[in-house]
Amino acid sequence: MTPVIEASALTKLYGSARGVEELTFDVPQGEVFGFLGPNGAGKTTTIRTMLDFIRPTSGTIRLFGMDPRVDGVRVHARVGYLPGELALYQRLTGEEYLRTFASLRDGVEWSYVEDISERLLLDMTRRIKDLSHGNKQKVGLVQAFMHRPDLLVLDEPTQGLDPLVQQTFYSLLDEERGRGLTVFLSSHVMPEVERVCDRVAIVREGRLVAVEDIGRLKAHALRRLELHFDTPAPADSFAGLPSVREIHTHGDALSLSVEGPVDAVIKQAARFTVVNIETKEPSLEDLFLTYFGDDGSAPESDAPGNEGQGAMP
Amino acid sequence: MSGLLAKAMRDQRRGMIGWGVGVAAVVLMYAAFYPSIKESAADLQAYMENLPDAIRSIVAGEDYTSPVGYLESEFFNTMGALIVLIFTIGAGARSIAGEEESGTLDLLLSTPVRRRQVLATKATAIVGAAVALAVIAAVSITLFGPVFDLSVPLADIVAACVMLALLGLSFGGIAFAVGAATGRRAIADAAAGGLAVVTFIVHAIGPTVQWLRPLRPLSPFRWYQDPGLLTGGLHLRNVLVLTGIAVGSYVVAHVAFERRDLAS
Repeated sequence: MTPVIEASALTKLYGSARGVEELTFDVPQGEVFGFLGPNGAGKTTTIRTMLDFIRPTSGTIRLFGMDPRVDGVRVHARVGYLPGELALYQRLTGEEYLRTFASLRDGVEWSYVEDISERLLLDMTRRIKDLSHGNKQKVGLVQAFMHRPDLLVLDEPTQGLDPLVQQTFYSLLDEERGRGLTVFLSSHVMPEVERVCDRVAIVREGRLVAVEDIGRLKAHALRRLELHFDTPAPADSFAGLPSVREIHTHGDALSLSVEGPVDAVIKQAARFTVVNIETKEPSLEDLFLTYFGDDGSAPESDAPGNEGQGAMP
Repeated sequence: MSGLLAKAMRDQRRGMIGWGVGVAAVVLMYAAFYPSIKESAADLQAYMENLPDAIRSIVAGEDYTSPVGYLESEFFNTMGALIVLIFTIGAGARSIAGEEESGTLDLLLSTPVRRRQVLATKATAIVGAAVALAVIAAVSITLFGPVFDLSVPLADIVAACVMLALLGLSFGGIAFAVGAATGRRAIADAAAGGLAVVTFIVHAIGPTVQWLRPLRPLSPFRWYQDPGLLTGGLHLRNVLVLTGIAVGSYVVAHVAFERRDLAS
């Protein structure tokens, strides 16, 4: 079966500035594909080539087996898009905006538009310029879902969404996935990707660093834990655990970098009196550390936070 | 597609209504001055003759105090042209470049519409708005003129207003094309507006400045005004030249916009 998205040596250069270079990846139908990287890594550039806003310098990108440049209309009919920097027509009300967009697409059921607007608690009667950032984002979401697309392209989708709306967004995603929806989701934060994606591409400075199943990514992700004890921290008891990558002690507290599940660490900690546990979401930085550590493309001594690594097993 | 056109028309409506009221007000004001101008015709004529040639060729035609001369000098060659040009150049620059700069073009083009459809509907809406302004001008002159003894045959008013719309569409087309090619509204405004000012001056003072004279045919104002807007009906060649500028600009916009990357 033809992949929904097929990038082959996709390259976009802007004069001397970097765009993306030699990106090759496939997204099969039904997958939620994360595109993870820091700002400026080329995520938006990649998305803009998919929608034919910009044209590749070399290489190709195909959606549903079609070239968006040639078959833009047929491609766009099947794609829902939520841009990272959402710009809407300020003078229209939400309803006017959505009706305009519904008229540009075939087969939009207005009852469905009303349904998802209600679920997102969007007040369609207000002018867009009077809406808060989060409410504008809702108009953008409804617009992206309204025609029940086969592919959703989301650029940093949950930026500015309040947690309640995020939950509605995730359940909408799940429902549409039931129909076979494919999703391309770019993000610079790990939790967003972890929550919904099946597979994740990691991009950095315009290049693909890795494409991984989310399971493997989680298994390798570095997690940072801080354990507070009622006695001077028993660092030695943790140094021998195979999942522990780094240990720092500050008095009664122990900072640990753990690769993969933290289970062994917690069980070891249970032998002592634990006053507090603080966890930090795995950051992109940590993720990159894992990858650049593995393939040796960045010397470990340059990576931040690696001092005091003598405690590594 | 119809939704696209409806949106484009709606975008132009506000501005068009505002400038339309302006056109009507200007016509009414100048018409109201006309009786006193006519009364002091002899004095004015003498005053005009004492002006330097260059100034006179800008502010007044040959026969300033006749209804035709007065309307041409005070409305069609100055204020009327100015209002229509401000509107069409602004609308042309805003169409693509404005929407691109504000970022709304992205979502619009993510729907199953072609870039060329967006161009076509936006251009159609501008043409519609320019025609509407010209109609407002024609109606205002026809209604207000006779009240103040400023009567010109209807056919001549219509002909002059057709030329007014075409003048607006040639410079509006240039703004549209520059905007579609660069995606920069300020550049589009400045290019078309600057060109309008320069070509207006070239045409206006051309007769008295030796070295400018050969450049006059390059000025759209030559093809707008000469040999007279309110006399002799439509001049086919003038219509063709101004239409050619507008259509040519549209073609340039089309070619440039289809090819380039959109700004993010």
